[in-house]
Amino acid sequence: MLFNSLDFAVFLPVVFLLYWFITSKNLKHQNLLLVVASYVFYGWWDYRFLALIFLSSIVDYSIGLQLKKDRKSSRRKRLLGLSIVFNLGFLGFFKYYNFFADNFVEVFSFFGKQISSNTLNIILPVGISFYTFQTLSYTIDVYKRKLEPTTDFISFLAFVSFFPQLVAGPIERATNLLPQFYKKRKFQYNKAVDGCRQILWGLFKKIVIADNCAEYANQIFNDTNEYSGSTLVIGAVFFTFQIYGDFSGYSDIAIGTSRLFGFNLKQNFATPYFSRDMAEFWRRWHISLSTWFRDYLYIPLGGSRGSTRVSVRNTLIIFLVSGFWHGANWTYIVWGFLNALYFLPLLLWHRNRINTNIVAENRSLPSFIELLQMGFTFCLSVFAWIFFRADSIAHAMNFISRIFSNTLFKLPTVRPTYLIVIVVLFIIIEWLGRHGKHTLETLFSNNSRALRWAFYMVLIGCIFIFKGEEQEFIYFQF
Amino acid sequence: MKTFFKNITFFGSVFFVLAQCSYFILDRASSLEYDKRLEMLMEGEINKELLVFGSSRGSGNILAAQLEKETGFSSYNLSYQAANLLYQEFILKTVIAYNNPPKKIVMAIDNPAEFNGNTGMRFRNDRLFPLSKYNYINSELINQDKRTVLSKLLYIDRVSTNMFKTTKVNPPSLNPFESCGSRPIILKPKGELVYSKVLPDYSIHVETASYIQAFKNMQSICKKNNIQIIFVFPPNFMVFNSNFYNRFKQLMFPENKVFVYDTLNPAYKNDRYFYDVSHLTKDGAKIFTTEISQFIKSL
Repeated sequence: MLFNSLDFAVFLPVVFLLYWFITSKNLKHQNLLLVVASYVFYGWWDYRFLALIFLSSIVDYSIGLQLKKDRKSSRRKRLLGLSIVFNLGFLGFFKYYNFFADNFVEVFSFFGKQISSNTLNIILPVGISFYTFQTLSYTIDVYKRKLEPTTDFISFLAFVSFFPQLVAGPIERATNLLPQFYKKRKFQYNKAVDGCRQILWGLFKKIVIADNCAEYANQIFNDTNEYSGSTLVIGAVFFTFQIYGDFSGYSDIAIGTSRLFGFNLKQNFATPYFSRDMAEFWRRWHISLSTWFRDYLYIPLGGSRGSTRVSVRNTLIIFLVSGFWHGANWTYIVWGFLNALYFLPLLLWHRNRINTNIVAENRSLPSFIELLQMGFTFCLSVFAWIFFRADSIAHAMNFISRIFSNTLFKLPTVRPTYLIVIVVLFIIIEWLGRHGKHTLETLFSNNSRALRWAFYMVLIGCIFIFKGEEQEFIYFQF
Repeated sequence: MKTFFKNITFFGSVFFVLAQCSYFILDRASSLEYDKRLEMLMEGEINKELLVFGSSRGSGNILAAQLEKETGFSSYNLSYQAANLLYQEFILKTVIAYNNPPKKIVMAIDNPAEFNGNTGMRFRNDRLFPLSKYNYINSELINQDKRTVLSKLLYIDRVSTNMFKTTKVNPPSLNPFESCGSRPIILKPKGELVYSKVLPDYSIHVETASYIQAFKNMQSICKKNNIQIIFVFPPNFMVFNSNFYNRFKQLMFPENKVFVYDTLNPAYKNDRYFYDVSHLTKDGAKIFTTEISQFIKSL
């Protein structure tokens, strides 16, 4: 079920009413309702893969309990290994089997040996990368004794399948989300209203920004050879806003929806395009994934505490794995590598932690230097997104070489004025709301209700009027 | 919780009232259009004895005013450029729903692309969007998956960006409307056309099932309403594709008639009567329309 569908517009109020009016007296019933609702939500897309989520839940729940019983380190290690192999095995099969099969064949043919490719017609289960990482975090935290394993199976099922964040995150840690299922939730007016605001902004980002930008980005990326360099730049910039609007929009709707049910999910985006360097960008973009990799991969590998060589190696690993996590294509790996190249100079010169606060924190406008820094960082990310969006490395290289041709200074042939105006207004609103955990949290909070409501109504009106051709959320494929 | 529901309800009510004001945008959008035919159909203003259906070949190659004069049947052209059979079926249903059924329909056939869903022919949603204020049109847009059912309730869900035009849309200078709805091509492009003598092939594998079904549906609707269909094959600047013609005859109901342009007429081998390979200029359309009139009179 898509967040921006009529199905969800009916589903959400029904679950909300059942949750607060029918099952609110009994925590177990409330959790069970969430499990059923989550399975319906997921099954709406393809019910066959519900078995996968259920199986994954059973395995990690059982391993968690076993880890508690076993005191022997070697047996505990084996149990952890079993969980990792099981979860990553599923992920590897559904997501990466064909990629490895194809590349295996290509490597052999490079050495003059022809073998036939045995790729399978595999459907990638939506959200598998997200819930796999979520369940893995549970087992690892239990193994490290950071978390007591749960004995409440229903709560665990709800934790794994919690519908707001099941298919595209944020990737929640068991230490944050699981305990919330043990406690009785109370309806809080302010929290629910703020949740609605966040849902509204998420829908705006997805429907108005991402879907409209997608139309032009797709048009330009699909016909790269037909356009001038300047138009290709427009295409890359539109994709930059598309992916941000799409993914951060989804996260906003997920977090806002959770708040309606009394849950607190992690912030996943913090106005990343206002970052002053790439290190800051990565602290603000897809935060739940970055911190997951930091805690479960980067730090166990030694982080930045060892020699320079180890730091560089770990940084490269984390960015390459992050790229590969996004999809089974070399384009994602190059995207990850490129980001590592952006990040490494900052790490080596110890400048990766200089911009930890919000830009222009106590000012309404950035300084000239900050503006330049933001502009430069934005350009770097636009360049990297070309690889992310391209169908292949050859496509990306062709796209880039055409940008840097003599047509770069021609007037772009695609320049939708209305969309450019909307994107500029969007940037202004995001700038004004950059202090909050989401854009609308603090925006107009000191103004009268009439003004606030008028603003929200304008946003809803825009969602109806400027809705682009419906596109699936990009991160569903990951 | 009470306050939450109270505020949500109040907010929703205020929004609903304001959102309905967008009807004015919808109303204005329809008034800016130059092609009023669909609107006239829904107002029941096209009660003619003979209607012309088709795509651009019907629109430009058949002159309804001339047909009216030569046959004595009051006529109107309801062809739309690039309209596929699904759209033509929709137009026929609209005719039947809001107007008196005609006695005859002259339907221009795109030889050989009529049943092929992979050409540029399409359902002309772009003609429907500006008329979203009509519930009938909105329902069709919902059928076409271009609107959600919410648009039945909220006018604002029928508004789209292209409705914010400031000026009236002008018809293209190449083929402006004539009286009776035809749009003959009045300009002649530079450059010569080369007549092709190669007999084109035709394969049923290019056919689209939904198009075939729409074609059958149109014939069934006409049969039910006692409308005679005359299928007409306009000339192309090439040898006649009899392979497609033979296939076409298999799909045609026996009570309907088919008319093929006079393949021996030297005018159809003269490029001065053609705008491009498959479209006649106005002079060519006059010749072709006369042939159709004679055929109708002979029935």
